[in-house]
Order: sequence, then structure tokens, then C-alpha cells
Amino acid sequence: MKDILSIVFRLTLTCLMAATVMGAAFIFTNKAKKHNEHVREERTMYALLGYSEAKPAPASIVLHQIYRYIITEGERQYVSYLIPLESGKPGAPPTYSLISLDLQGKMVDQKPVAIDGEKIREREDRDRAVMAAVGPGKDVHFADHTIIVTENGKRIAYLLGGKFPGFKTFINVMLALDPSYTMVGLEILEHEEDPGLGAEIEQDYFKNQFQGKSIKTLKDLKVVKEPLPAEYQQALEGGMAEADMARIMEKYKDKDIYALTGATISSKSVTDGVKGMAKKFAYRLDILDNILKEQQIAVSF
Amino acid sequence: MTNTKSIGQLLSRGILSENPIFKLALSMCPAVGISTTVMNGVMLGVAVFFVQVFSSVTISLFKDQIHPRIRIPTYTLTIATWVTVIDLVLAAYMPGAYAKMGIFVKLIVAFAIITMRLEMFACKENVKDSFWDGVGMGLGFLVGMVVIGFVRELLGSGTILGYDVLGFKPLLFFILPCAGFFVVGLMMAFFNWIEVFYKQKRGVRS
Repeated sequence: MKDILSIVFRLTLTCLMAATVMGAAFIFTNKAKKHNEHVREERTMYALLGYSEAKPAPASIVLHQIYRYIITEGERQYVSYLIPLESGKPGAPPTYSLISLDLQGKMVDQKPVAIDGEKIREREDRDRAVMAAVGPGKDVHFADHTIIVTENGKRIAYLLGGKFPGFKTFINVMLALDPSYTMVGLEILEHEEDPGLGAEIEQDYFKNQFQGKSIKTLKDLKVVKEPLPAEYQQALEGGMAEADMARIMEKYKDKDIYALTGATISSKSVTDGVKGMAKKFAYRLDILDNILKEQQIAVSF
Repeated sequence: MTNTKSIGQLLSRGILSENPIFKLALSMCPAVGISTTVMNGVMLGVAVFFVQVFSSVTISLFKDQIHPRIRIPTYTLTIATWVTVIDLVLAAYMPGAYAKMGIFVKLIVAFAIITMRLEMFACKENVKDSFWDGVGMGLGFLVGMVVIGFVRELLGSGTILGYDVLGFKPLLFFILPCAGFFVVGLMMAFFNWIEVFYKQKRGVRS
């Protein structure tokens, strides 16, 4: 009996000590880890816009973050956008405002949100600030994150983050649209599809098929179970002269997506997911733009 | 084991006469599975090195408090703690390498070499000796992984540390898992041969 007690006591103590050490390590490394994630995210964004370390983005390019929230109050639901406001003078830190729309697309109210540009990236800090802004008794739910890219004040692209169900779990993607909602690029951020089959969605020859698809094509984009034409594959993987590549990409611009061999479900879920994201975004942004114009709210994008 | 070993002896024992991979034939699964390139070998070797040193010192510090019946669970807990710490540090400060190696770093918890050193050495000897024993064993593992990685990368993909040195791929076979066994086996034979040769020479001299 004494032995058992001693063992229990020692094991508990060991576990507590281990927990302390691991907790301390977590606290010390968490900041750097989050920073890395942001760096990675930003690199993905710039890569989608066609910039890399060798070809850095000019200073005139600015990314404006927009967060969409669903706010429920009893029976009623609102769609709210957390947007940066025009700061007036250049270089001043942005101020944020939460614009709530009802489900008919009519503006309900506009509330200032007290948060700075650094904290807004952290989901917890952001959620807390939004909750404080809308007041108690309301259910706040984060929906998605969009980035509007401007060059010298003119919109050049939209970056959409989002996820949708794949074959196994959620597929996390980021896609880039130009101002006329034509696909610029697609990047698969996270997925757990089967290696060698569904995991091929992250290969250039699949994800680049979305490039250049206009919103009209996207709306009834389908997956076809046909072999990928050899010249198209070569163009998608970028192994040829630019003029030839542009010609072939143009030729297949309005074609459907060629399914991956042995991974029709993954191919289909990516296609449907991207289709849905682009379609819904175009619809929502038109409404938001109208509201901003009607109410004469000066935003930074 | 007696307490009369010098630092040099402890170090050289880990690297040469009791090298974890070539002599003790422990932790063969990472040695075969991961050592396809020099960089992979270095990364895993460094991670194992730190886990080995930290665990040896920890166990040696607390050796009198450990109940003899729960030795192994305590070792596992200690190793798991340090592996988690190394894992977090790598994820935070070396994200590029971690993206490739992450899954193998977590596997260090189950490496036989670390548990074996704790059971054989750290729980009996003082902190200073345990530290140097950990350093020696960790370095031995690191050296082993780098040597295997060197051979496999050179013969398999014709590169060293990602730089193209041969300009062609001599034998693709070497980066496949089965070649790991061949390389480890041949190296074991080679190191044993050197040892025999060295002993004979010394025997003749004396």
C-alpha cells in the first residue's frame, strides 16, 4: 500500500513537472510560431499576386483586411464586416469599424471597433474586440477573411481565404480574383487528402487549371473525367516559353476542370468549393460596395 | 560501470566503440527511414542530441527520487517532455526544416537509444558523467546519421546538401528505404573491420 501511494505521488509530481516545462516552452515559442504563420501567409498572398522574394511587391501595393462576422441576436441575424476606415493622412494607424447588414442587404448600424493593426490578426483578440463593440447578449461568430489589394488606391485583386470539406477533412485554401472576379490563382494551404491520389490537388497541373476562369465560367464549372491534354499539362507546369503558355492557357480558359486520376471526389470538392467561394464573394462584395457608397463611408480600399 | 571514466573516454565511447547505430544497432528505424539526405540526417541528429543530453541530465539529477518500479514510465515522461520542447522550438525558429521533419521529431519519444542510455548510465552515474555520456551518444547518433545520409544522398541523387556534385543520379535505388539497410549493414562491417584492424595493429605493437 505504501508503495502504491509512493508511486502515485511520484508519478503525479513527474507529470506536473513535465507539464510546467512544456508549458513554459510553449509560452516562450508561441510568439515566434505565430509570427512564422503570418510570414508564411503573407508569402502565399504575395505569391498569388505574382510577387516573390526575387521580385518584391512595390510599396504602392497595400493589403486591406476585411473580416466577416455573423451576429445572432435572438431570432435575428446580421452579417457584419470589420473594415479599415480611411485614416485621412498617410502613415496613420488604421481605425476599424464594424458595419452590420441585415439578411436583406440593408444597413443596420456602424460601430467603431477599438483594435490596432497588429492585434486584428489574432483571432482571439479580434473576436473579443468585436464582442465588445456589439455589446452583450449577442452571439458573435467569425465567418471568413478577405483581403482587398490596392495599388495606388486602385483595386487590383481580392484574396479570399476559406475552407470546404474535401474527401477526408477540410481543405484550407486561398484564392485570388481580379476586380472583374476572374480567377488569378489558387493555393492549397492545408489538406489531409490521400498521398499520391487526393494530395495531388496541390500540384501545379491541377490547381493552375483554375487560372483565368472568369466568374461566368466559374458559375457552371464542372469536373470532367478525361485525361489531361499533354500540351495543357506542360503549360500548367510552366515548362515552356511564355508566349506558348499564354496561348494554350487561353485555349483552355473556358474548359472544365480535368479530374485527377483516382481522386474524383477531391477534384470535385475543390472545384465546388472554389466555385462557391468566388460566387458568394462576388455577390457579397457588390452588396457591401453599394452600402458603402450609399452611406458615404470612407474606407481605405 | 565504474566512475573512473574521463570525459574523453565517455565521448569516444559514444562516437566510436559504442556508436548507437553501427555498434549497438539501436534506433535503426530512423537511421534507415530518414537518412536519405545529409540535411535530414543533421536535423534529426541534432534533435536527438539535445533530447539525449537533456534527458540524461534530468534523470541523473533525480535518480534518487525515482521509484524503481516506475523507472520506464518516468524515463518516457522525461523524454516526451524534452521532445515536446525541442519540437516547439524547431517549429518556432526553423519553420522550413520543421515542415519536412516535424513528424519524425515527435517519433524521438520512442527511440530505443535514449531510453537505453538512461537505464544503463544516467540512473547510476553522477550528473557530470551523465552529461558527457549524453553528449557522446548524441554525437555518435548525429555522426552516424550524417555518414549514412552522405552515402545515400551522393549515390542516390548525386547531390550533397542539395548541391549537385555529380551532375547525374548514379543509383536511384539508394534513396529507397531498402537501401538504408544495405548502407547501414555495409557501414557496420566497415567499422568493425577498422576496429579489428586497429586492435591487431596495437596487439602487434605491444
